[in-house]
Amino acid sequence: MKSKLISLVASILLGVAGCGGGSGGNSQPPGPPPPPPITKAEAFQFLNQATFGATEAEAQRVINMRYEAWIDDQLQQPVSLQLPYIQSLTPPQFMFQLQPDRVDIWFRNALNGDDQLRQRVAFALSEILVVSQLGVLGGQPYALAGYYDILAENAFGNYRDLIEEVTLHPAMGAYLSMLGNEKPDPTRNIRPDENYARELMQLFSIGLVELNQDGSVRLDADNQPIATYDQAIIEGFAHVYTGWTYAGSPVFQGAFPTPTRQVFPMQLWPTFHDTGPKTLLNDVTLPAGRTGDQDLADALDNVFNHPNIGPFIAIRLIQRLVTSNPSPGYVSRVAGVFNDNGAGERGDLGAVVKAILLDDEARPALRMELDGKVKEPIIRVTQLWKAYNAASASGRYPYNFAYIIFGQGPLQSPSVFNFFSPFYAPPGEIRDSNLVAPELEIATEFLNTYVTNYMFIQTFAWNHAADPVTDPNVNDDTVLIDFAEEVAIAGDADALIDMVARKLLAGEISTALRGEIAGMLALIPADQGLLRAAETIYLVATSPEFAYQR
Amino acid sequence: MQQLNRRDFLRKSSLAAAVFAATPGITYAQVIGGGAQFDDYRALVCVFMFGGNDSFNMLVPNTTAEYNAYAASRQNLAIAQQDLLPINPTSFAPGSEPFGLHPSMASVQQLFESGSAALVSNVGPLIEPTTKDQFLNQSVALPPQLFSHNDQQDQWLSLRGKSPSKTGWAGRMADLIRSNVAGQQMATNASLFGSNTFQAADETVAYVMGPSGPQQFEGFSPEQRAAFLRIVDAQHDSIYERGFAAVQRRAIDAADTVTAAINSPEAQAITTVFPQGQLGTQLETVAKLIASRDQLQMQRQIFFVATGGFDSHDDQNQNQPGLLANISESIAAFHAAALEIGVENSVTTFTQSDFGRTLTSNGDGTDHAWGGNQLIVGGSVRGQDMYGTYPVLQIGGADDVGGGRMIPTTSADQFAATLAKWFGIPDVDLDIVAPNIDNFVQRDLGFMV
Repeated sequence: MKSKLISLVASILLGVAGCGGGSGGNSQPPGPPPPPPITKAEAFQFLNQATFGATEAEAQRVINMRYEAWIDDQLQQPVSLQLPYIQSLTPPQFMFQLQPDRVDIWFRNALNGDDQLRQRVAFALSEILVVSQLGVLGGQPYALAGYYDILAENAFGNYRDLIEEVTLHPAMGAYLSMLGNEKPDPTRNIRPDENYARELMQLFSIGLVELNQDGSVRLDADNQPIATYDQAIIEGFAHVYTGWTYAGSPVFQGAFPTPTRQVFPMQLWPTFHDTGPKTLLNDVTLPAGRTGDQDLADALDNVFNHPNIGPFIAIRLIQRLVTSNPSPGYVSRVAGVFNDNGAGERGDLGAVVKAILLDDEARPALRMELDGKVKEPIIRVTQLWKAYNAASASGRYPYNFAYIIFGQGPLQSPSVFNFFSPFYAPPGEIRDSNLVAPELEIATEFLNTYVTNYMFIQTFAWNHAADPVTDPNVNDDTVLIDFAEEVAIAGDADALIDMVARKLLAGEISTALRGEIAGMLALIPADQGLLRAAETIYLVATSPEFAYQR
Repeated sequence: MQQLNRRDFLRKSSLAAAVFAATPGITYAQVIGGGAQFDDYRALVCVFMFGGNDSFNMLVPNTTAEYNAYAASRQNLAIAQQDLLPINPTSFAPGSEPFGLHPSMASVQQLFESGSAALVSNVGPLIEPTTKDQFLNQSVALPPQLFSHNDQQDQWLSLRGKSPSKTGWAGRMADLIRSNVAGQQMATNASLFGSNTFQAADETVAYVMGPSGPQQFEGFSPEQRAAFLRIVDAQHDSIYERGFAAVQRRAIDAADTVTAAINSPEAQAITTVFPQGQLGTQLETVAKLIASRDQLQMQRQIFFVATGGFDSHDDQNQNQPGLLANISESIAAFHAAALEIGVENSVTTFTQSDFGRTLTSNGDGTDHAWGGNQLIVGGSVRGQDMYGTYPVLQIGGADDVGGGRMIPTTSADQFAATLAKWFGIPDVDLDIVAPNIDNFVQRDLGFMV
């Protein structure tokens, strides 16, 4: 064995192993052959995973730079924020009136920000560490904007820092009841609320059952799953999360959420912090008599060091970006990077995101039936908008009703359980095959038709030919798409279909879809360029193949 | 218009599933009544209160000792005794008013006292009968993840206990009767609140519409519609494309039929005014669909409607009145519409919720608990009575398993089995609908005639 190894090493150093070639003077071993050029379809696939929608221009950059350099470049881009913009606006009479502005800046960052990857990851994080405008935060646009900013700022940072900022953010404090949570008072039958204790573990970090690194459920000797925590542990954490309220508040409970209070990390009132011992995970008990800060730091460390987080976060981020049903190997590799980024650091989200996007399973050599996922509805819209330079006359995108017409919107989830569950399987072959397709949970007959109808209005009415001044259905804030290019060549059906397919499907359109579009174009006179172009884009944008992210 | 044959569709698309190992599921080999059509119409309407309804403030003891125990437990969250709306369940001494409803529920009080509503006390998911000691010692099988929202919603809607089943008890009922309702123009299961576990099934598919009904497709000329259908029905190589296409297909097929039903003369003839808001709108749409049942050739229907906001960790005193008023007014309006249509004996409405809430508080709200009280409304309900066993509302008392959480004295399986039996499921098949029912002696709680 040993001598074989030595001879192998020697042969490499002498440049004899690998490629043929004589024992010439050059001692450099021949390097691996250069990788094949990235195709346009592959670049589109990558960008649909890493941004809010592939465009031809950005695809060319990916082809030129290749994936890793593109990612590295993205990791350097400064973060696009929301709160400074919201704070720059004149406060309206009622704070909820700023929610459209919050959604506006979200769209502007998502569509036009240089930090595309960071914005996409922040959105993915917002679907895991959920707070929502629907509910108690409806009148707190500053809180929501500031909360989203911490997701964006920490998207490539460390997960331990992220969950600490999330824990202390007043948006989360209000949403999951940690704000104003007080220590026990037996005379008033008061016990600390358990909402945040439960959801931080169940939804934001470790989940309900122990996992192996590859995401599979660990089973005990009786082949049963093993719960990660019990009621005593929830109560332990609930007692940790006591004593926190709005920074600078004059009262512990009941202060009005002013714009300032909505954005500063919560502050500790020691008299309301429980100082008893607290049972945490892994048989750890925090001793009595410590400060709220000490308890909080140790409690978050206790959660952060649980082995579940790697696979838990890996699965969810992979599902948001790449595929609904990652293989155990894929999960394990990504979880491994969470556990150690290669430089000894646990929780490096930048490394995790890179690992997710560069893994072989995300860059498949051969397309397999289970690759990819259904696009989230809002990402179908943003991809269309990016491809067609969507903009309103005002330059704004105040689509506060996104959650109604698209079934989802930024920080507009119906509950802390996000728009869809990571475990959702629609009836039929997906469920029968033990697979999941989370995005289909909001692709019901009802919601899907809403989006289809939105695409109809977007293409036939809300386009570059619409005039906000004269058209009663269009105002300054209506987002219009621009397909003047298509209109110019619309007389030629093949050329028209080719152009739209290039922009939305990387040029790969199915024969069936092309045939049906051609059939419909045959019914529209050749000089009706706007109608022909709208029809083409409509049928592509509503097609199953556009809804599918490879 | 072509009616979608869902089983054909699934058979076609599940050819790919043959490549993967299918989950062994329930075999619906047994056909009820030889597949004969039902000779009547019945509908169940599930009103789900998301978040965990604090139902010990919905139905409150009114006798002195019991009220005092309640008030001592709930402190600043207790309803003042003089504010309660008294009820006279017939199992108790006449006129004794042993219980009262939350002051926001005057319409439910009226329904109860007139015999159209019943209350079931302290119901919750159980796998087998469980005493407090057995719970504390963990010496019986218990539903997993008690006090967790989505798990307990799942338990109520699926009754799956510890099994990994992916179907719900309404889905399984629809699967069981699918031969008996073969002529129906709409799915047995219809949701006005999104996809849900309750109606998930192996064979049948629930139809999801919005609170006011289905969305119609804009711009659907006959040619556009036909092209759209061909695009949807084309060969798709990805399982995800096929999943998406399947939804589009169902949407196109059902939109016209169901919208026509909602706009039918029978539906438009309803004069009852429903409360504004999500729940009122959903129930109004359900009423319209029921009015059109003959047009759609429906014989058995299960509707899922829902409303949220019940997770009262904070501001319970401020929020609860509105929440319960909405439930009360919406359900009462729905019953009034049922009377108008003439189906009051054929339609039964019932509530479910993740769980009841703790007797203890966090200062201004309550936390997740277990057993809770449910409401049943309809002409076929043995109304003006309470069923099950109302617990002792005492912190640390006989029914408190910790933190003021009441251990259920009646199981969700028993609750479901009683409704399933009325719906037409034979006793021998009740364990398909309610998998744990064989562990309980009383299979029929007696609240239906």
